[in-house]
Amino acid sequence: MAVEQRIGLTLWVNGKEHLLEASPRWSLADVLRHQIGLTGTHVGCEQGVCGACTVLLDGQPTRSCLMFAIQAQGHEITTVEGVTPTEGLSPLQQSFQSHHALQCGFCTPGILLTAEALLADNPTADEEEIRAALSGNLCRCTGYQFIVDAVLAAREQRRDA
Amino acid sequence: MAQAMRPQMMGARVSRTEDPRLLSGQARFLDDIQVPGMLEVAFVRSTHAAAKIVQMDLREVQQYPGVQAVLTYDDCPVQLWQREAYEVGQPVLAHHEVSYVGQPIAAIIADSRYVAEDAAELARVEYEDLPPVTDMRRAIEENPRRVHAHTPNVFFHKEYATPSVEQAFAQAPHHLRATFRTNRQTALSLEARGTAAMVDTATGRLTVYASTQSPHRLREDISGLLGIPTHQVRLIVPEVGGGFGMKANCYPEDIVVAKAALMCRKPVKWVSDRTESLLSDVHGRDDIHDVEVAFAEDGKIVALRDHLMADGGAYPAYPFSGAVGETSLASRVITGPYDIPHLATVIDCTYSNKMPLGAYRGVWGPVASFIQEGIVDRVARHLGMDPAQVRLRNIIQPHQFPYRNAAGMTYDEGSYQACLQQALELMDYEGFRKRQQELRQQERYVGLGISAFVEPTAMASSEAGSVGYESCTIQIDATGRVTAAFGLGPTGQGHETTMAQILADQLGVRFEDIIVLHGDTDSAPYGGGTGGSRSGPIGGGAALVAGRQMRERLVKYAASLLEAGEEDIELGDGKAWVAGVPERYISIRTIAETAYTNVTKIPEGLPIGLELTARYLPKSPRTFSNGTHIAIVEVDVSTGSVAVTGYGVVNDCGRLINPTIVEGQILGGVAQGIGAALLEALHYDESGQLVTTSLMDYLLPESTDMPRVMMRHLETPSDGEGGIKGMAEGSLIASPAAIANAVSDALAPFDAFVDTLPVTPEMILEMTRGELAR
Repeated sequence: MAVEQRIGLTLWVNGKEHLLEASPRWSLADVLRHQIGLTGTHVGCEQGVCGACTVLLDGQPTRSCLMFAIQAQGHEITTVEGVTPTEGLSPLQQSFQSHHALQCGFCTPGILLTAEALLADNPTADEEEIRAALSGNLCRCTGYQFIVDAVLAAREQRRDA
Repeated sequence: MAQAMRPQMMGARVSRTEDPRLLSGQARFLDDIQVPGMLEVAFVRSTHAAAKIVQMDLREVQQYPGVQAVLTYDDCPVQLWQREAYEVGQPVLAHHEVSYVGQPIAAIIADSRYVAEDAAELARVEYEDLPPVTDMRRAIEENPRRVHAHTPNVFFHKEYATPSVEQAFAQAPHHLRATFRTNRQTALSLEARGTAAMVDTATGRLTVYASTQSPHRLREDISGLLGIPTHQVRLIVPEVGGGFGMKANCYPEDIVVAKAALMCRKPVKWVSDRTESLLSDVHGRDDIHDVEVAFAEDGKIVALRDHLMADGGAYPAYPFSGAVGETSLASRVITGPYDIPHLATVIDCTYSNKMPLGAYRGVWGPVASFIQEGIVDRVARHLGMDPAQVRLRNIIQPHQFPYRNAAGMTYDEGSYQACLQQALELMDYEGFRKRQQELRQQERYVGLGISAFVEPTAMASSEAGSVGYESCTIQIDATGRVTAAFGLGPTGQGHETTMAQILADQLGVRFEDIIVLHGDTDSAPYGGGTGGSRSGPIGGGAALVAGRQMRERLVKYAASLLEAGEEDIELGDGKAWVAGVPERYISIRTIAETAYTNVTKIPEGLPIGLELTARYLPKSPRTFSNGTHIAIVEVDVSTGSVAVTGYGVVNDCGRLINPTIVEGQILGGVAQGIGAALLEALHYDESGQLVTTSLMDYLLPESTDMPRVMMRHLETPSDGEGGIKGMAEGSLIASPAAIANAVSDALAPFDAFVDTLPVTPEMILEMTRGELAR
C-alpha cells in the first residue's frame, strides 16, 4: 500500500488561491495547519464538539476537523489569519483584549470566527443570542462571561460606526 | 523606598501583553512546531483494564510503509517511580502486563500521524485477562485482588485525631452521618498534551518541547530517567493551551518521545488526540468520604469524623499521586472557614485498574468544601435553622487570627465573616428566601447554596513546585529596555502581564519596555513552575525582590550621575530624578548606556552591566485566601435538569496584581465548578473500560450553562512580599459546593440532599420521585 496517495487540490483561503498536493483523507484542519501553514486554526477534539477548529466556509462557521480538505474546494475559506488586519488587531480582536476574553487562547480563534459570523448575520444580537451562538465553542478558561462582554461591546461599536 | 510603596501598575486593570499574538493566530502551540524531517507518533494502548500480555506481534506494524521505528519496553526500559514514596512504578511502555485501559504499550514512529495510526491498528496484542479492580471500597479490602501482587492496594494510610474528639462526640446532643462522593474528572485543557523532541543542531543537545506547567522539573525528570546530564537537555515550553494541574506531571509519553528522537536521530512529535486525552491525562477527584458530625442545639458544630478514601488508579502518577493530594490536604482543611474544635480523620488511598490520579485545579478542595458546606446545611435543616445563621455561628471570627484549625493548620488573617456577610447582601439573601417561598407555592423549585471557602496558596512545596521558591532574572539592556525571566510555567494566567506590572513599579520603567520570558530552561532561572496557586504570590514575590534590588542599583547610578543623595532619588516613566526637582533627571536609558558602555562612570562598588537574579522563598509555609460563593438554581423536577440562574462571589486573595485577571480566574473556576457539580464524570464500567472517551460523553459547561456572575473583592494582605495571596483554585474549590447546596435547598420540600457530584438529572428524579416530605 502506498503511504499516502496525493491528489491535486485547489483551496481558496483568506482570499488567496492555494494549489496543493494532498491526501483525500486529510482533514481541512490538517491541510490548513500543516500544508498551508495557517496554524491559527486549532484542533481541540477532532470529534466536532469543541469548536476550536472553526473556520468560515462561505461566511458560515464550520468545523474544519470534520471536513476533508477536498470537500472545501470551490468554497471561500476564512481563518483567524484572514480576519486579522495587516497591522494591529480587528475591532472584535481589540474588544477581546480589552475585555480579557481569553486566557490560554487556544479556543480563541474559533470563537472569533463564530462571533464574526454572528455579528455579520445578526448585528443586533442580544446576550442570549450571543450565548446561543457561542454554545458550540468550548472554552475551559474564561467561563465565557468576558467573551460575551467582548462580543456585546464589538456589536455596539459596529452599530455606532 | 517610600515611592515604591505607591505602586502605579500593581493593582491596575492592565490589558494583557499576551493577547495580540493569541488573537491573531500567531501564537505557537506544541502542534505548531514542525521542522523538516519530523516524524510523528501514535501509541498502541491497552484495551484491557487488567491483563497479562501473553504475546505481542508487531511485524505488520514494522513493515507498514512509512513506519520508521516501533518502540516497546525493551527499547525504553524506564519506570516512573519514586522509590522512597511508593513501591510501584509505571513502565513507560507496558512490560508483560497492563493495568488500565489506555496504558501505552508500544510507540509507532512514522512519517505522519495518519500513517502511524494506520500502522497502530495492525498491532496484535494477546491478553490474558485478570479480574479488574474497579470498586474503591472493595479495593481497600483487597478485593477482588491486589492490583500489584507484591504490595497492598492501600498505598497511603494515615490517622489523626484531636485529643478529646471521642468525648466531644459522646457529649454532643446531635449527630448526623453522611457519605459524600465526587466522581472522576479530568482537567480537559482545550489543547491536549503533546511532546516533541529533537537534537539541537547548534549544540547537539536533546531539545524537548513540552506542553507542561513545570519546565525545570520536567527537564530533570527526562534527564534523570534517560540518564542524560541535565545540561545536555534543553526544555522549551511553547504556548500552553490550558493545564489546570494536569500538565504538572511527567508522563510516559514524554519519556518515550525523547527516547524515540534519540533512537531515530530525527525530530519526533506526539500530540494527544481527545480520546487519548480522556484515557491518559491524569484523572482527578474520585473521592468517597464517610462523615459524621456532632453539634449543639444552637447550631454550633463541635466535632467532625471523616474516613477519606481516594482511588489513585493503577500507578502513582509521576512524581506524585493525586490520591494523596486529594486526601491528605483535605484532611487538614476539612473544617474550612469554620471553628470546629474536634476532628478525627482516617485516610485510605488505594490502587485500582484505572488511569492514575493526578492533580486537577483545587485538588483536595472541591470535595472538602462539598463536605464542610454540605454538613452545615444538614445541621441547619436538622435543627430547623437558617443555613446562613448556622454559618455565621460557626465561622472563624476576626479576632481569632492567626487561627490554628483542628488539624493543626494555621490560617493567616482573612475576611471570612465579612465575605460571607457581603455575599449574602450581594445576592439579596432575605429577598431570595421570600421569592423562594412564593415560587414553591407555584411548584417551582429554586434554591440558594452558600459556600464559604479557604484556599491554602503559595505552599512552600506544591504539586507543581519541586522547590518552594521562585526566581526572577532581570536584564536591563544598554538601551534601558528590560527582559525579565522566570521559572514559571503559565498556561493562560497572564504572567507576562502581571510580572511586568510588578516590575514596572519597582524599576520605574514603562510597562511596555518590559518583556517577560518563561518556559525555556536556557533562559529561565531555576524555579518550581506553575501550580498550586503559587505563581502570583511566589513568582510575584520574586519579581518584587529582584525589582527592588535592581531599583537600588539604578538609584545608586542616578545619585552618582546627578550628584544627589540616594535618598532623594525617585524613579518613574523611564527616568530618575531628584525629588522635588524634576528637571534634574537622567533617563534609565542613559543609566543603562553608562552601565554597559561608559564603564568608567559606574559608581564605586557596582558591577558592570545591569543584570541580576533574585530568589524568593516565602517565610510562611502557606497563605490562605478566602471568600464566599452563592449560587442560585432552579430545578425542573419533571426532567431533573438544573439551571444555574444566579451567582455571586466575594473574594479575598490579598493584594491584587491585576483585578481583571483575578476576575477571569474566578469566572473560569465557577464554570469548571458547574461542570463538576452538574456535568463532568468519567465512567468506568465493571470490566474497567472507560466509557466516556469523547466530548459527547464527557460534558463540559457551555456558554449557555453559565449565569452572569457578580464579583466583589476584599483585600486582606498576606505577610509575604507585596501582600499577595494565590487565588487560581479558590473558585473551583468553592463553586461545586455552592451549586450542590443550591440544588439541595431547592429540593428541601423533598427532604433531599445532594451527596454525589456531579448530580445528574437521573439522580434528581430519584430524589424527587416520592411524596413531598412536607
